[in-house]
Amino acid sequence: MDIFMLNEERIKLMTKMAAYEEHGGKKNITIGSFFRGDYIGLQVLKSVICATIAYAILFGMFIVYDFEVFMLDIYKMDLLGFGKKVFLYYFIFVAAYSLISYIVHSIRYNRAKKSLKKYNFNLKQLTTLYEMETKK
Amino acid sequence: MSVLLEMRENLKNIYNKHEVFITPVLKFLLAMVSLATINSTLGYMNKLNNPVIVIVVSLMCSFLPINFIIIVATLFVLGHLYAITLECALVALALFLLLYLLYFRFSPKDTLVVLLLPILFLLKIPYVIPIAMGLIATPASIVSVMCGVVIYYLIYYVETNATAISSLDSENAVAKIRYIIDGMLTNKAMLVAILAFSAVVIIVFLIRKLSVDHAWTVAMVVGAVTGVVVLLMGDLVFETNISILGVIIGTVISLLLVKVLQFFIFNVDYTRTEFAQFEDDEYFYYVKAIPKNTVSKTEKTVKKITNVGDTSSMK
Repeated sequence: MDIFMLNEERIKLMTKMAAYEEHGGKKNITIGSFFRGDYIGLQVLKSVICATIAYAILFGMFIVYDFEVFMLDIYKMDLLGFGKKVFLYYFIFVAAYSLISYIVHSIRYNRAKKSLKKYNFNLKQLTTLYEMETKK
Repeated sequence: MSVLLEMRENLKNIYNKHEVFITPVLKFLLAMVSLATINSTLGYMNKLNNPVIVIVVSLMCSFLPINFIIIVATLFVLGHLYAITLECALVALALFLLLYLLYFRFSPKDTLVVLLLPILFLLKIPYVIPIAMGLIATPASIVSVMCGVVIYYLIYYVETNATAISSLDSENAVAKIRYIIDGMLTNKAMLVAILAFSAVVIIVFLIRKLSVDHAWTVAMVVGAVTGVVVLLMGDLVFETNISILGVIIGTVISLLLVKVLQFFIFNVDYTRTEFAQFEDDEYFYYVKAIPKNTVSKTEKTVKKITNVGDTSSMK
């Protein structure tokens, strides 16, 4: 193909879009392919799993740290009450973390959608340019 | 100034032209410096201290995403801690897992801060990070800075108390774990550092956002002074025994480094590597267009030859 056949406008657009995709755009495109509820729901679900593992680690550390006292008290303590307390803290921990995750990912989704608008506009322009070239 | 600007332009051009090679080299250097620092500070596991291993692992890191360096550095730290006692490694593993699970999921890019901060702490110039983060990031980066400080103090605490930890009753694992956790939780110097660095990030960020002349420079200087003041106040209140001269000299060097960073990196749009042959209002373009090889198909013609009693044939 002759070099003079290169369409400068089209190359500019394609370069811009490639640069966008390269620098974080790909992530936005993935986010944009989800519905808002699906994306945030999935991320919050992941957060719940992560928070559960993190809580288990923290709880394990707490037990190990106070192991001797814990073992001495285990026969005396109200195990049901202790269990309830552990679960209550777990729910508070997971709820707080999920809430933060929800806020962060809502903001991220909105940002991605906003930045994709320009990308989609460029995409449309590119299609128009291609169509014009084909007509020529 | 024009000479400096020219130099900057030249450097930018060199980076643009050879980005493919420069990025892996930088990653290699970062990995090697990180691992060498870990080895020289902890260095309890002889196998990991082998320079050949460091070089081979760094070479691997140069071709992999930057977060791989963090994973390798974490493994090196855990390896050295394991060589002291298993309990040390377990506490560190729990801490690292908490950081990865709770924080790095949100901002995987910030992991670099967590890697650089302990290294800069050892070089006595950790103040670069909070000032730089205040300039280029948001106050949310406080969490990354905090993580970096906690990891440094974990390494520092284990390093200074290694003999005490290993001399504890080897059968009493719980006592060892409690000793390490207590040491971390009651570490006043760590708390003061977290407080000072958080204040620096917030103040630098707030001033940088102001629409005043030289906002960046003012932000840097005020941030640095705030850091020094909070550290000295912390020293007075909690008796953290920090070297006042060390803090001041470290801060001045950090300021100079951030100034250099501002000149070279913050003004340079180094992330875009388009090869320009033409320009428009927003960009310079370095486009490399390679046409596809096309082979034109041989045309088939259909010729009808009508003979008496015959039909047709195709060529």
